[in-house]
Amino acid sequence: MTLTQKRLAILLIIAVIGFVLGRLAVRAAMNLLIGGTLFGGNFL
Amino acid sequence: MNKTVKEKKVKAVPVWMGILVFLLAFGAGIASKSIAPGWMKQYNVAWSDAIGTLKADLPYGDGEANRFDLYLPADSGKGSYGLVVYLHAGGFTSGDKAGDRDTLAWLCSKGYVAAGINYTLRTEANSASVLTQSNEIKAAIPQVVAAAEAAGYPIDKMTVAGGSAGHALAMIYAYRDGKDAPVPVVFTYGAVGPSSFYREDWGIFGLDQDTEESRVAAAGLFSAMAGVEITADEIADGSYLEKMRPIAAAEWVASNPVPTVVGYGIHDRVQPFLASLPLKAALEENNVDFQYFEFPHSGHGLQNDNAISRQWMEAIEEYLSRYMPVK
Repeated sequence: MTLTQKRLAILLIIAVIGFVLGRLAVRAAMNLLIGGTLFGGNFL
Repeated sequence: MNKTVKEKKVKAVPVWMGILVFLLAFGAGIASKSIAPGWMKQYNVAWSDAIGTLKADLPYGDGEANRFDLYLPADSGKGSYGLVVYLHAGGFTSGDKAGDRDTLAWLCSKGYVAAGINYTLRTEANSASVLTQSNEIKAAIPQVVAAAEAAGYPIDKMTVAGGSAGHALAMIYAYRDGKDAPVPVVFTYGAVGPSSFYREDWGIFGLDQDTEESRVAAAGLFSAMAGVEITADEIADGSYLEKMRPIAAAEWVASNPVPTVVGYGIHDRVQPFLASLPLKAALEENNVDFQYFEFPHSGHGLQNDNAISRQWMEAIEEYLSRYMPVK
């Protein structure tokens, strides 16, 4: 594996982690705001 | 020397580049989860005069909140129309018919007369309850039908629907009051509305515990909802259930078994999922044509199951077409 390939692989992993964390962040916020599962969700 | 240099280079994905890629990907992740799927747009229509005529804030009673909005479709030449009443959410304490404008516009764009009805919300200063709210809806419906007819849109059948608190009120009207409706109630739909009050199902609020504190809490919550005083002793011996019956829609299914489409989130921490199962049982026992959707990853907002949301909306459309076809 060339150095460029390694760099691309690392950046790809970072991108996947960032993408998944972004979706999880929205999901957590939505759960919190609209009575989902986070912290009991008893906000309504 | 060469090896040292090479190792240094392997680690050298520049930090700024890693941070930049992470932030871009994080933003893309947020966007992908935040943007509503394309199929959802067809069910939320921006109101315009091309769709029809909106008559807003028509009164139906003496209360300040006793108002309804009437959406009349552009095609005004028919002999009869189906009416869809959609009741707003808000935990019986908040919300407004204006919040459902896009939903009502969608229904109107399909050719239905649509109506959003406000009801007196419970506050610290009044004694409004689910019972009084359901009675306000019952009083409003004949006036909604009359207003539509006065505008040249005779109604021959109706659907009653809603979200959360509005769903509870819609079910109460359909099953408890439907027989007295001015036109046949042919369909009811909605999501996450409470319809039964067995305290063992309300464990998310701690009401299922065999303690005095739990019984007192159950008595407080159920008294507020039912609009009658319920004591901890009545909670203990089960006699409270008779007092809850007027607002327990599941108990009325046999009285008027209306075709039904409902959805409930398994992780709901507002309207406990377990409290929706008696409704499902009642619909089965009474051979109702119904569809009951479980949202396995969602709470009260049904927010984490887009595929099932789509099936639920498609079922609503199918039932509307089946029981209240646009002529």
